[in-house]
Amino acid sequence: MMHQTIKRDGVETVGDPYLCLEGVNKKYGLVEVISNLNLEVRKGELIALLGPSGCGKTTTLRMIAGLIAPTAGRIAVGGRDVTHIAPHGRDMGLVFQSYALFPHMTVAKNVAFGLEMRDLSRAEIAQKVAKALAMVQLEHLAGRKPRELSGGQQQRVALARALVIEPSILLLDEPLSNLDAKLRDEMRAQIRDIQQQLGITTVFVTHDQVEALSMCDRIVVMKGGLIEQVGTPHEIYERPATPFVASFVGRTNRVKGKCMVDGGIQIGSSIIRAASVETPGDVTVMVRPHRILIDWDATSTGQGETANRIAASLSRITFVGDVIQFHFDVDGCEFIVEESTKKAQATHRPGEKAMLSWNVGDTLVFGADQ
Amino acid sequence: MEETPTSWFMRVTVTVLFLFLLAPVLLVFPISFSGDQVLAFPPSSWSLRWYDSLLENKVMMSAFLTSLGLATVVTILSLIIAIPASYAIVRLKVTGSEFLFNLFTAPLLLPTIVLGLAILIIFASIGFLATFTGLVIGHLVITLPYALRVLSVSLGNLNLACEEAASSLGAKPLVIFRRVTLPMMAPGIVAATALCFLVSFDEVVITLFLTGPRMTTLPVELFHHVESQADPLVASVSVLLILMTLGVVMIVDRTMGLTKAFVK
Repeated sequence: MMHQTIKRDGVETVGDPYLCLEGVNKKYGLVEVISNLNLEVRKGELIALLGPSGCGKTTTLRMIAGLIAPTAGRIAVGGRDVTHIAPHGRDMGLVFQSYALFPHMTVAKNVAFGLEMRDLSRAEIAQKVAKALAMVQLEHLAGRKPRELSGGQQQRVALARALVIEPSILLLDEPLSNLDAKLRDEMRAQIRDIQQQLGITTVFVTHDQVEALSMCDRIVVMKGGLIEQVGTPHEIYERPATPFVASFVGRTNRVKGKCMVDGGIQIGSSIIRAASVETPGDVTVMVRPHRILIDWDATSTGQGETANRIAASLSRITFVGDVIQFHFDVDGCEFIVEESTKKAQATHRPGEKAMLSWNVGDTLVFGADQ
Repeated sequence: MEETPTSWFMRVTVTVLFLFLLAPVLLVFPISFSGDQVLAFPPSSWSLRWYDSLLENKVMMSAFLTSLGLATVVTILSLIIAIPASYAIVRLKVTGSEFLFNLFTAPLLLPTIVLGLAILIIFASIGFLATFTGLVIGHLVITLPYALRVLSVSLGNLNLACEEAASSLGAKPLVIFRRVTLPMMAPGIVAATALCFLVSFDEVVITLFLTGPRMTTLPVELFHHVESQADPLVASVSVLLILMTLGVVMIVDRTMGLTKAFVK
């Protein structure tokens, strides 16, 4: 609380950054786990910190919550510098992967805890607890102890407990990863609904790209303590900034190629084109498997200027349920093409020749150094 | 469960083992109801005379009350010291906490007789021998390691996220400790209480050095009694000791469940 400076320059307008991380850095000894992180989250936005384990996403969340102090940098909420404020003075709702419910208290007592800390009257607490439990549809379990609840129910109690204090920011640390797949889908929708209803600024840590893509307004893709890309789910998926983002979010084919002076890219003996132009030299080419069309009648001619066409031979077929994956060999490079199983025919044999085509716009090209 | 040869074998083994362990203890019960003048099994006649004689034995009864009071005071002090100490060592990780932990638990590794002798030499020079204060301090030396060890394990096993959640909900550190950490440590505290009480109530080696005609404890008085005469009074005292121990264990079992308090 020592260095607390409050500067409020009027009412924030929609679109202004509400949560700001400026030059945030975290070192453990000599190991830098977060390097110079800059991030702005708008009021009411649901933003995901997405990345593999060890990328620093949870560390970032814990620094926002105040559970660990950054080595350098500044964290501000609504213009108020909270960098040196203890967690109990930050007014943030936190939901843990392990839920972290108080085992010795009933559901209602768990939810009431934050309100009791705020010295509210008994009647007011009871009313707010009832409202919060109704929001997560758990009114009927108010008297139970956490151990008597299922994982999904505990998760909803944790959410109610974090939201009942009407925090300035909601922080979710992999809240869905301990739930089974079906429940996860339900909770995903429920969390998004509640977040929209309350218009609460939310930071959501996850390693699951589907969660990030389906729930969030924007995604921050992190790797090795650095931000790889910040963007809307659509931008992240369609215009990944780095090969890492392209392969971490969604599936992709990744092959080596050579960019030539005229902008054409040579893969084996074929030439393809991409929407963006790289400097001549070695490049990495990526194409999403379901964006490629297979023309089994390899003799037919091109379908237009926008399409890349490449001759390939089928090497393997993998049945994955919803989709069928055709593995093609193109002069030593492997291309995987996915088709929905309804459309796919199982009559194809390895060794069969085909033409692969896809839109120039679907070709992602990255310099070889990336 | 299905009856298999293995399960029969297990049952027999466990029964034999338990008999082997408990036989001497169980033997005490019939002997305490002996009508004989000397300690013998089986008794030639039955009576309650040794319980009568125990109640009339002023030395034994006062030693029993001393032991009871001593164990209670020692247990309370052990908890008052060990709860903050374990918090400082496990949670705050203050500098030198590793050293402090080893220092506190070292008496567990030392031969108790050496410890007793050392305490005797110091207490003799400051006049603490055969005083209640002296006994309390002497017992604390051996109960604290137990309390500290059990409470540190209990605290170390707690989900830190619960305390972090409380903090994010606006609770200050002291409030978190009182309303979240302490209640979650309850099984550990019950286990530590029971252990401290039983260790203190049962202690002979160190206590032998610290007691005297002015003040003595039940186990020490029992020891002296056996040295001088071999009558069944010792059996009735033993029954008293066994019942006390059983009482503590049953209280633990009723409040927490034995496995929860001692195993986890």
